[in-house]
Amino acid sequence: MLCEKCKKRTATVFYNENINGKTRAYSLCGECAAKLREKGDIQEITSMIGSFADPFSMLQHDLFSGFYGLPTSKNASAEKKCPVCSSKYSDIAASGKVGCPTCYEIFSDELSRTIQSVHGTTVHIGSVPSRHRAQKAKAEKLKQLRRLLQEAVQAENFEKAAALRDEIRTLESEEKKEAQ
Amino acid sequence: MAWYNTLGKASDTVISTRVRLARNITGFPFSSRLDVSGASEIIEKVSVPLEASGFRKINFTDISPIMATSYVERHYVSPEFATKETPHALFLQEQSGIAVMVCEEDHLRIQSILSGLALEDAYKNALCAEKRLDEDFDFAYSETLGYLTHCPTNLGTGMRASVMMFLPALTAGGYIGALATQLSKIGLTVRGLFGEGSGASGCMYQISNQITLGLSEEEILKKLKEAVLQINESEQKARQAITGDRLEHLTDRLLRSEGLLKYAHMISSAEFIKLFADVRFGITLGVISDVTYEQLGTLLVEAMPATLTLGAETTPKNEIARDKLRAQKIQAVLQNKQ
Repeated sequence: MLCEKCKKRTATVFYNENINGKTRAYSLCGECAAKLREKGDIQEITSMIGSFADPFSMLQHDLFSGFYGLPTSKNASAEKKCPVCSSKYSDIAASGKVGCPTCYEIFSDELSRTIQSVHGTTVHIGSVPSRHRAQKAKAEKLKQLRRLLQEAVQAENFEKAAALRDEIRTLESEEKKEAQ
Repeated sequence: MAWYNTLGKASDTVISTRVRLARNITGFPFSSRLDVSGASEIIEKVSVPLEASGFRKINFTDISPIMATSYVERHYVSPEFATKETPHALFLQEQSGIAVMVCEEDHLRIQSILSGLALEDAYKNALCAEKRLDEDFDFAYSETLGYLTHCPTNLGTGMRASVMMFLPALTAGGYIGALATQLSKIGLTVRGLFGEGSGASGCMYQISNQITLGLSEEEILKKLKEAVLQINESEQKARQAITGDRLEHLTDRLLRSEGLLKYAHMISSAEFIKLFADVRFGITLGVISDVTYEQLGTLLVEAMPATLTLGAETTPKNEIARDKLRAQKIQAVLQNKQ
């Protein structure tokens, strides 16, 4: 992830600024952090790297609480519960662990900053489970068939349209069966 | 034969390579919110395809703590897994070094461990087991975040690839701190012998990817391999830079360590790790020629407290007996040339 000040170098220093109870998290590169420190703009700096003992456990520990600060109890998201596992965001923030897959949807706003700061992105580009791949291929096929159906109707090629409609129905019923 | 008593590639700087894939099964909460029946159900379900593919099931709630620790010493399970109280099981294919931890931090931790530098093969092995499970189970997955994991640090590919490096010259030169800083800038991290939270010992360090999201598996492996090759080069240069009187003193120290390893009456595990590093360093420098990497690799597992005790005819009664047993074990392995 890039330093939010110079937007050129990699961010290696993370800190929280707390003004009148409002917390804002910063991610900076070493040079920008040093400049701010000289100017006295940073009160407390935690360097994430440079600690060899176990940089990872420190990162994990501070992921939610140390660097970013928790939403206060007045914050609506702290009270929001996951409908599947009943986790609250405060539970996730305290443990550093997410309750269940659905939590990622429910708390997507709260988690996105953390995910962004850990990985430098929030978009997956690696491998895909086979079921998901098959579903995606099917969805794309359906989309294409529907477009062809529309074209056939517009061209008044009703014989072709009927064949396409049957093909779409077969695919749709397969999808329903799989969903059950 | 297991991963630890075979010789792999780049073995003068690389001890082993491990790739693990984190997967969770939809319809269940993540491990910390999983109750006993949920955990048992997952174990039962995955048993079917895994046992059919030749994996041996080890129910961790049924085995003794010493046996559980022995699996940690062989690097098939994490220290946290060994001490969990809720149902958890290991599925092991020891010949190919593939281990699946079920109900660890994630429902499935599919991992492959191989001797030496073997990132591509380790990934291939882990992927093979993963594909078998992918046929039967619907993994928690989101199009944007990839594989959904208990901890957000594993999102995306769910893959952690790590290479255990042996870096005595860089350690002696005090370069490891700087190395850790450099690596963290490119999304890699350095850990100790037994992974997260374990301190560095015996000049052994695990170099692994920290970022799992936004890069493909192949890109992660490529980046890690490039870093490992660079570290290898730095270590080689640091070794070559030891010359003159420094080399004389070092040679003397390494040979004394060999002497201790071969003839001492009692050796503690901490002392063993120290002597292990010295003798291994001696082999890489060409100073020691009658000990092999394979012998040392075997000892790195078999001279550890739990595995050592399990391998004994009678359980040592106290620390003195255990340290004596360790010395005897070491001497037996070193006399038996592989």
